[in-house]
Amino acid sequence: MHAAPSLLECQRRFMAALYAPEEPGQVEAIVGNGLEPAARLRIYRHSCEAIHTGALRTTYPAVLALVGEAFFDQCASGYRRVHASPSGNLQAFGGHFADYLETLPELRTLPYLPDVARLEWLRQQAILAGDAEALPNAVFERALAVSESTFMLHPSVQRLASPHAILTIFQYAMAPGEEGLQLPDTGENVLLWREDGEVAMTTLDAASFACIETIAHGHTLAVANAAACAIDPAFDLRACIGSLVQRGLIVRPTSSPGTKESKPCQ
Amino acid sequence: MPVAAGIGLRAPHVARVLAERPRIAWLETHSENLFATGGPFRDAMDGIRPDYPLSLHGVGLSLGSADALDTAHLRRLREVVDRYQPELVSEHLCWGALGGRHSNDLLPLPFTEEALQLVVSRIEQVQDALGRQILVENISTYLRFEGSDYTEWDFVAESVQRSGCGLLCDVNNIYVNSINHGFDPQVYLRAMPRAAVQEIHLAGFTRKDNLPVPLLIDSHSRRVDAAVWKLYAEAIDLFGPVPTLIEWDQDIPKLEVLLDEAAHAGEVLDARRALAA
Repeated sequence: MHAAPSLLECQRRFMAALYAPEEPGQVEAIVGNGLEPAARLRIYRHSCEAIHTGALRTTYPAVLALVGEAFFDQCASGYRRVHASPSGNLQAFGGHFADYLETLPELRTLPYLPDVARLEWLRQQAILAGDAEALPNAVFERALAVSESTFMLHPSVQRLASPHAILTIFQYAMAPGEEGLQLPDTGENVLLWREDGEVAMTTLDAASFACIETIAHGHTLAVANAAACAIDPAFDLRACIGSLVQRGLIVRPTSSPGTKESKPCQ
Repeated sequence: MPVAAGIGLRAPHVARVLAERPRIAWLETHSENLFATGGPFRDAMDGIRPDYPLSLHGVGLSLGSADALDTAHLRRLREVVDRYQPELVSEHLCWGALGGRHSNDLLPLPFTEEALQLVVSRIEQVQDALGRQILVENISTYLRFEGSDYTEWDFVAESVQRSGCGLLCDVNNIYVNSINHGFDPQVYLRAMPRAAVQEIHLAGFTRKDNLPVPLLIDSHSRRVDAAVWKLYAEAIDLFGPVPTLIEWDQDIPKLEVLLDEAAHAGEVLDARRALAA
């Protein structure tokens, strides 16, 4: 019979055993009652690992499809030891999975995989984001005429620029066709948002992506327009912002104090 | 909360409940499923809530952690409770996190005076923060710690009585633990503070084979076992009719299966009422 450790010590030992890569040999203070204490602890080790692996499988179905179940579970097992779950709300677990995948030498032959994971994490953020009321058309028209206007994007809007064709790869992973995927040479800039309770995604040209990215960072229309025009002198600000408004992704202007008119690329 | 049998609302059934509003006495959902500030589950719950009594059942607050309660988690729970005004709010009598590292599992506490005092203070802290009484649920366990000051049933009863919270009596967990640790589940039931029992949980377990001793896993993956139905009837005899929930979290079947299990629980409740009449 061992003296009972303090509650803190008991929980420290237990938590360490849950996350240890190797099963602990001698386990103190656990009653065996017909089983090795380690065998009883093993139930919790397996359960905890299954919970975390299951959460990652749910969040990263395309990565799972691309690497297969066995390797995915191996990655998940390693990940949870480096980036422990930070919350009692399991939806917060897995935010560093892409960065972790980037560190694995076995995945160097799949250089696009971390960005596919980043896309999947953003999909989860889009689905869980708050709601906001779309900007009425008339207000948008007035604000668009003022170059110092800033816009607030819908909380579900996410953006990811990648040197890889991540949306194409994601779609192939989720619904592979009979013919293999011919990977495009170019990267893809992806805009994500929530629409009718599901994640919607589209690719954007570089200028539109730069414009939306600049607006998302709180800059004025003039600054966003300049960023886009630096990439594409033929950039159409009205068309770009108009597509966001049509999708209900601009929710309200945060300020429109100035009177300078918006101008096309010069 | 109606004294009838409800079901745990899980993702595969949300769209159907939203569209068809099937006849279900009440619904329970994990509190954390509503922590997001938007999204389809929250939208669905906004639509469903007016038509069903609701219980919010937390799985991540970790009442028994030796370091501290996650105050951000508690604050979010408060916001969710304020928004949905559930008939019942419950948490588990367990721990799950330490030093900011979360197992996201329901881990066993040692049945010591130190642990008891801690969970009582935490239940009081949560009840103060929410401005209402909560229920705590007895969990299923696969190990015990040496140096206990209490039996499990006395630990549960003392936690409830000292803190003034209500009891969510999980009858399946009592049965699972009675096999896993070798005790008479009726002794456990009889030790429960009857007036505090405000909800009962029922679920299916799985057997772990090839071990030198019998071991049950609280998998929530199948119908309620016959032995648990028997213990449930005994619990209802002891406590009187209590709102009862069918839980199913893995290999989730069609809604009809859950409703069938709930109907069975309803028959037990009705039989007890008929006896009392």
